Amino acid sequence: MQSLDGIKFAEMVQMGAHHLFQNANYVDSLNVFPVPDGDTGTNMNLSMTSGAKETEQYASEHIGKTAQALSKGLLMGARGNSGVILSQLFRGFGKSIEKEATIDAKGFAGAFQAGVETAYKAVMKPVEGTILTVAREAAKKGVEVAETETDIIAVMEAFTAEAQASLQRTPELLPVLKEVGVVDSGGQGLLFVYEGFLASLKGEPLPVKNEATLDDLINAEHHRAQDFMNTMDIEFGYCTEIMVRFEEGKEPFSEEQFRNELNPLGDSLLVISDEEIAKVHIHSEQPGAVLAMGQKYGSLIKIKVDNMREQHSAIVGEDHKAPSSAKKAEKHPYAIVTIAMGEGVAELLRSIGASYVIEGGQTMNPSTEDIVKAVQEIGAEKVLILPNNKNIVMAAEQAVELLDIEAAVVPTKTIPQGMAAILSFNPEAAVEMNQATMTEAFANVKTGQVTYAVRDTSIDGVEIHKDDFMALAEGKIVLSTPALKDAAEKVITDLVDEDAEIVTVIYGEDTTEENASELVKFIEENYPEVEVELFNGKQGLYPYIISVE
Amino acid sequence: MSIELNNEFGQIDISTDVLAQIAGGAAVECYGIVGMASKHQIRDGLTDILRKENFAKGVVIRKQNDDLHIDMYIIVSYGTKISEVAYQVQSKVKYTVDKTLGMSVKSVNIFVQGVRVAND
Repeated sequence: MQSLDGIKFAEMVQMGAHHLFQNANYVDSLNVFPVPDGDTGTNMNLSMTSGAKETEQYASEHIGKTAQALSKGLLMGARGNSGVILSQLFRGFGKSIEKEATIDAKGFAGAFQAGVETAYKAVMKPVEGTILTVAREAAKKGVEVAETETDIIAVMEAFTAEAQASLQRTPELLPVLKEVGVVDSGGQGLLFVYEGFLASLKGEPLPVKNEATLDDLINAEHHRAQDFMNTMDIEFGYCTEIMVRFEEGKEPFSEEQFRNELNPLGDSLLVISDEEIAKVHIHSEQPGAVLAMGQKYGSLIKIKVDNMREQHSAIVGEDHKAPSSAKKAEKHPYAIVTIAMGEGVAELLRSIGASYVIEGGQTMNPSTEDIVKAVQEIGAEKVLILPNNKNIVMAAEQAVELLDIEAAVVPTKTIPQGMAAILSFNPEAAVEMNQATMTEAFANVKTGQVTYAVRDTSIDGVEIHKDDFMALAEGKIVLSTPALKDAAEKVITDLVDEDAEIVTVIYGEDTTEENASELVKFIEENYPEVEVELFNGKQGLYPYIISVE
Repeated sequence: MSIELNNEFGQIDISTDVLAQIAGGAAVECYGIVGMASKHQIRDGLTDILRKENFAKGVVIRKQNDDLHIDMYIIVSYGTKISEVAYQVQSKVKYTVDKTLGMSVKSVNIFVQGVRVAND
């Protein structure tokens, strides 16, 4: 073909738009840049469709006029970054052949080059590895080939091949693409348009999408998923990929039916298939069911199942909690959320009325976000937050600001204070009311703790040696001694006075029930008038937490 | 002025100039934008495109009742669909600020201060 007129060009545009339309979803799925919102294909398709419509309406033998129509249609319908770029590419294209009735190979290649130049003028800082790169490199190749080649089809062939090659190079230029393992979505969209042009020129059917692209789809899907998720939010925990080879005697395969069957099992579903094989990717809680479903149609020739919670924790570096416990959290319209370390302590707090106990304490403070999440999880409408540690009070106060429900912090600094506060909770009273009464209630509680020293030091005039047990009464170190028993007894003698009525001893992982019982005996012998309660808190770091009220 | 973030370890102050740089940097990467313009074109006598170090003149960061608002003064390229370019800038700026500073932006308001005709 030596020359191209407007009618033929209009056909090319239709074919290009059609090819893009068919693959719009695929282009969407590649979208990770500039904003990973998965709309590149949709946007480009809408832009191109508008261009094609205008071209169809005003197509003329005069190629300059046809190209102008395309340019106008694209401009009016431009959507998204890539749509705007597409419109610029063809604006330059149209402008350079404005006065031509027909164009030859040189003119054709030159028009693409002009389009690229126009497109680059409209951007301050062109980012390479995008649709712009693909357009530029392809146009350059086209111009080179057109120096000697006069056949327009041959030029378009070389041009499209270079666009394809350039697209494959985009991950080398744009780090985010490489990281995710996909090619640029806009570039891919442009390639579909060019492929449509070529198919139209050659009078051949449109190329079919290559199978290997499932990997791209999966990569992009995962990137989007991880980008916006916290480990706890992962609803479907297993990334399951299977490949099924269809067999005689099994159910005949229908992609749509299969898709519908799989859909209820999870999300991020991708299915592609040809006559012999289907490839499936899905995030599901029941990988077994997915395998069974695949087997209905044939034999499984490849299986891969990854636990995404594990992977994701590793990626984002956060402690993961299986959703089973979180999901089962009951709904509490008027809730008390508190923070404690140790299973036993948590159990104890729950038993006296805490709605939700966040695991945490001295060395592992929960973040504001953890607190907010806990409150949202139990569906509270009104909430009181008890930090039980002075280092968490601030995070709790911030959580209150973030929550759009009625919320207040009762600034408890120790577990016994938290317990006292919870016990005075009145479910009928307003949040502020409870905050006041609970704060008052815990003020009457005296707290003693026994913990061990991690290094030699001297605090409040007390010499402390590493591995010594420290007795803390109301947060002050009163004794440091190698004997746990001495430290615990010192706490008791310091805190218990004639007003004391109840002494609660919560013993931790670092001591035994026998030791704790002995301590109880010590209290009963020396202070016959007080009542003693003993709990196994299973907490670390603190062999004893003691409250006196 | 600065934007404060609090967490359990203490406080993080981010100068609005930094925010302006980040928002401006994100904006000029968008297609169809040829530059940032000054908010006070007449007073500053800068009818032209702002240089990188002056981005703050074309980006206004406001904090109202804990919500973050960003106003951006931009110059776009002639022949593009300006509404779409502006929309892209909003989306990119919001995304970038969220990604790099972990702050959610309530609104990104675009003021198209000029159109530049490319000499073609």
